[in-house]
Amino acid sequence: MSTVAAVSVEQLTRVFRVPGLRRREFTAVSDVSVEVQPGEVYGLIGPNGSGKSTTMKVLLGLLRATSGKCAIFGRDSARVDSREEVGYLPENPYFYKHLTGAETLEFYGKLCGLRGRELRDRIGEMLALVDLEESRDRRLGGYSKGMLQRIGLAQAIIHRPRLVVLDEPTAGVDPLGSRQIRDLILELKRRGITVILSSHLLEQVQEVCDRIGIIFRGRMLREGSLAEITEVGNRSELVLEGMTPELMEEIRALAAARGAKWIHDGHPRTTLETLFLEVTSAAAEAARASGGKS
Amino acid sequence: METAAPLRRHRSFSFGRVWTIATGTLTQLVRMKVFAFMAIFAVVLIGASFAFADLKTEQELKMLKDVSFAAIQLFCMLFAIAGTAMLIPRDVEDRTLYTILCKPVSRLEYLLGKLGGMVLVLVISLGAMDLLFTGVLHLKQRTVVEQNVAELEYRPFRSQEEREKAVAEIIEVATQQGASWNLQAGMAAILAKSIVLTAVTLLVSTFATSTLFTIMVSLALMVIGHAQGLAREVLLDEADGAVLPRLVAGGVALLFPDFKTFDVLDAVITGTVVPGVEVLKMGGLCGIYCVLYMLAAWVLFADKEL
Ligand SMILES: Nc1ncnc2c1ncn2[C@@H]1O[C@H](COP(=O)(O)OP(=O)(O)OP(=O)(O)O)[C@@H](O)[C@H]1O
Ligand SMILES: [Mg+2]
Repeated sequence: MSTVAAVSVEQLTRVFRVPGLRRREFTAVSDVSVEVQPGEVYGLIGPNGSGKSTTMKVLLGLLRATSGKCAIFGRDSARVDSREEVGYLPENPYFYKHLTGAETLEFYGKLCGLRGRELRDRIGEMLALVDLEESRDRRLGGYSKGMLQRIGLAQAIIHRPRLVVLDEPTAGVDPLGSRQIRDLILELKRRGITVILSSHLLEQVQEVCDRIGIIFRGRMLREGSLAEITEVGNRSELVLEGMTPELMEEIRALAAARGAKWIHDGHPRTTLETLFLEVTSAAAEAARASGGKS
Repeated sequence: METAAPLRRHRSFSFGRVWTIATGTLTQLVRMKVFAFMAIFAVVLIGASFAFADLKTEQELKMLKDVSFAAIQLFCMLFAIAGTAMLIPRDVEDRTLYTILCKPVSRLEYLLGKLGGMVLVLVISLGAMDLLFTGVLHLKQRTVVEQNVAELEYRPFRSQEEREKAVAEIIEVATQQGASWNLQAGMAAILAKSIVLTAVTLLVSTFATSTLFTIMVSLALMVIGHAQGLAREVLLDEADGAVLPRLVAGGVALLFPDFKTFDVLDAVITGTVVPGVEVLKMGGLCGIYCVLYMLAAWVLFADKEL
């Protein structure tokens, strides 16, 4: 049995008509093709305005394709039933301000056909997953940007979709939360759920994605597996602890003797993110240990 | 979290989804405190029940009904227009529509859900106003009867029989003009009109570029709806049975709502009984308009770029 691609975008072009007296047109996406296999995590990266969100919206049937085709698990995106299998988190998500966190999840869960006990359990599970249990009965009007992003993520996966489309899932989320979202994506991947995401945090993309597409001004510039794109084939890196100048000299000599070229040495750098995470999670840990509530 | 559920069966139309959106809309409107206008209505009603105290029995009850029906009708129709006009634009601007339509929800289900939500709000608010109004009218009816009977004490009657006849007459007039099931036909007419206005406003808001535009057009349609019956009668009278004017008038009545059939308030207020068939006819016409306008709205909305 041949497997159906989770996502197939074939030569997608999307042209916007620019409102105004003169009829100008703007090509937001031009001849983009993407195929994502079930279980893969696919990252769409590119500068602002390059057409990432537009591609996703066409994939979800929110916008029509000017030409080309999109399908989800073989079902055309224009059809409503293609959306049974998808969870979508739009960029800068916005939900009904007058609903509480739990009510929001209930609303979207019901739209996906969940009812009764299953729905209730699922709401609890999701709130725990995105760490919003304490705010479950607060209205979304009072949520911060990061909290909205999390509730958005929760509503996207409440019905256990087989494909999750995330448009900048970590935008506006603090580093700790962003790390949680990364872990969540990895967890989805472990469960065999296909994920397609866009992000400007390249480090994170590198951490979670199997394959990556680089899109620029509506065109796909590079596409391939992470290894293919980033690997510099004939170079290697080693990281040692307790290095002495003598050992360094020995290794240099050995390398030279075997005909290898020394490119670079130095200390591995801690990124700001890693540092921030270490400090904040240590502080959170300490607070939890001393029994104080956040 | 478990692994993804197996492939789900999709039903192309689900009342569950429509109901979810309808109740969501109801919650939204309730939390926007739209029912606050009921307080204004209560003030109008109570004011009216004291205002006409020096009129004759029949006149007094009639005026109370007149003012109350006018207020209820005005509230319901304006609310149907203003409330509906903001529903879709808000969802589009907030991009909540994205999060709804990316679920397996068809655009028709979404539109019907919004209509349903408004109908729920209208039924609830009209029901509450009806209850309040009927209660006040009932009380008023009783006090009026008591007062008038008390006044009979000072009138010379030739016999007990004659006196009893006078009392019976007072009660009869008060009963005829007081709270009765016939008044509910008036309420049904107001509800039907408001629902038609909701549907037509929803239709306008699928192509309008702003909420203000929607409100203005719908208000114009409301006026046309009330005036076109009369205009048609005059025109067709002059045309003397010619075919073309008849066709034009028929087309206009189909495109724009025609509220002539719902025109029972005057009859209800004077105490004329509205036959059940008329009420059924109103319901049927309301249904036809809803189907027509929602189909048009669906055609326009299905192709709308968000
Ligand atoms: N409805 C629209 N009408 C006209 N132009 C649009 C519309 N939506 C998007 N565009 C244009 O299409 C281009 C691509 O937009 P898109 O939102 O897909 O970019 P993006 O890659 O998601 O950018 P970002 O990283 O900022 O989110 C932009 O130049 C944008 O101005
Ligand atoms: Mg974007």
